[in-house]
Amino acid sequence: MIHANDQVWWRRLWREHRFKSGVGLVALLAVVSLLLIALNNIGEISFDFMASHWSFLLQYAIISLEATVISFVVGFSLGIPMGLIRAFGPNTMRRGGLKGLLASPLYAFVTGYTEVIRGTPALVQILLIQFWVTSSFQGITGISLLAGVIALSVNTTGYQTEVFRAGFQSVGQGQIEAAKSIGMRSVQTFANITLPQGLRLITLPLANEWIALFKASSLLWFIAVQELLWGMDYLGTKLNHPIDAFILGSLFYLAILIPLSRAVGFLERAKRIPGLGVTEPQRKALFSSRFARQTRA
Amino acid sequence: MIEVRKVHKWFGSLHVLRGIDMQVEKGEVLVIVGPSGSGKSTLLRCINLLIQPDSGDILLEGVKVNEPDIRPEWVREQIGMVFQSFNLFTHLTALKNVMLGLTKVKRMDAVEAEKVARYELERVGLADKADSYPAQLSGGQQQRVAIARALALNPKVMLFDEPTSALDPEFIHEVLDVMTKLAFEGMTMVVVSHEMGFAKSVADQLIFMDNGVILEVGVPEEVFANPKTDRMRAFIGKILG
Repeated sequence: MIHANDQVWWRRLWREHRFKSGVGLVALLAVVSLLLIALNNIGEISFDFMASHWSFLLQYAIISLEATVISFVVGFSLGIPMGLIRAFGPNTMRRGGLKGLLASPLYAFVTGYTEVIRGTPALVQILLIQFWVTSSFQGITGISLLAGVIALSVNTTGYQTEVFRAGFQSVGQGQIEAAKSIGMRSVQTFANITLPQGLRLITLPLANEWIALFKASSLLWFIAVQELLWGMDYLGTKLNHPIDAFILGSLFYLAILIPLSRAVGFLERAKRIPGLGVTEPQRKALFSSRFARQTRA
Repeated sequence: MIEVRKVHKWFGSLHVLRGIDMQVEKGEVLVIVGPSGSGKSTLLRCINLLIQPDSGDILLEGVKVNEPDIRPEWVREQIGMVFQSFNLFTHLTALKNVMLGLTKVKRMDAVEAEKVARYELERVGLADKADSYPAQLSGGQQQRVAIARALALNPKVMLFDEPTSALDPEFIHEVLDVMTKLAFEGMTMVVVSHEMGFAKSVADQLIFMDNGVILEVGVPEEVFANPKTDRMRAFIGKILG
């Protein structure tokens, strides 16, 4: 569509989604910076304190990140087989035989597991596991971190199982049948059809789980794991700079999560199946600048 | 080539196949017609054991294949199947769709498999679409890729389950052309279809099924010209309008 107004350069520029959201971002940052500078000037917060203590928080941020990564990987590797049992267990049971006999208790176990994990507060799970671990393995250094990682793993496994179940179940039954019809065994069908397509479908929910897990790692503060929230609390109470400490700590969470969600967005675009899903013009309208950049290349 | 003897199949309390007997010789084209719900698709799926018959025998070249000690994968590898809704693997290009069975089932190396796959795509007239994804192809093109995928494994028999029913009218002929060519090359085919033109010009044998039983068998022209049962007469009246 050609507008008469497009002759004027700034009107043309203003029609660009990318430009508009760029302006929005700059404006947001400007407002936030101004606010912080004002707070700094009236002495509510102190940039000097933040600048001299960010490296102190960094070491605890790394602990948080490590705990999250380990738990997430555990959840991922357990979530795939457990999601598989959730998705296809009932079918296997109906078919009978040895597999069917095994599928029944496994399905019951996995279903019960996900229900319990998703139906109870993460903090309760963490406290429960911490009491169990510390009473069973006394006197080991770093025992609370170990308990914390176990608890987060147990928690995220329950959620990731459901994510994988949904992904596997969304792969079309027709394609499974087609794979069988060319003589592929069920393991081959899973590895070549169900898994690659399922993973594409669940990129976003899986990233959401990562984000939720990273934030949930702050709950480990309750069992005295020296992670990011512990570091913030230390700065706040011991050095009496609570507001600076919590703002600085929040920036750490943001600095880790925003690039991650950007990376996931990129991964999603890169692995998108050509011709499937929303068409490019629709995507542009929906997500404006984020996706426009890709198509112009 | 294929023999079906007294096959019964129940889905729960529903008796879908009630004693089917049929036979297809090598190089023969058999067309199955019948109203929806008559058990045509179930019969096709019993032949390549996508559905296990509850009783009766399926014989492939004289060997009973619905036996516990015969791997159904081994049977399916020798029987190609084309589906109503194409069922291409959406995350793979046309070429990779055709190659998958070769590399995974036949254990062919990738270079060799690609050669075969390109040849098969050329046979169905889609050499230039090798790198397209299914969602970028028209229905007719997708169905031809599906035919190439089945042909690549060099099957002894091809099963077609209403291959043109999901297609827009303008794409039907390109799929039928490929199937006609296949028939003339001597492929053994079992086709569930309501394309009467195709049945008349290509089929050696026509079967009319209703309610899980075969009501009429014969040469297409004859069955169409002199239907023996009322139900066949009513069915012909309906599809010819």
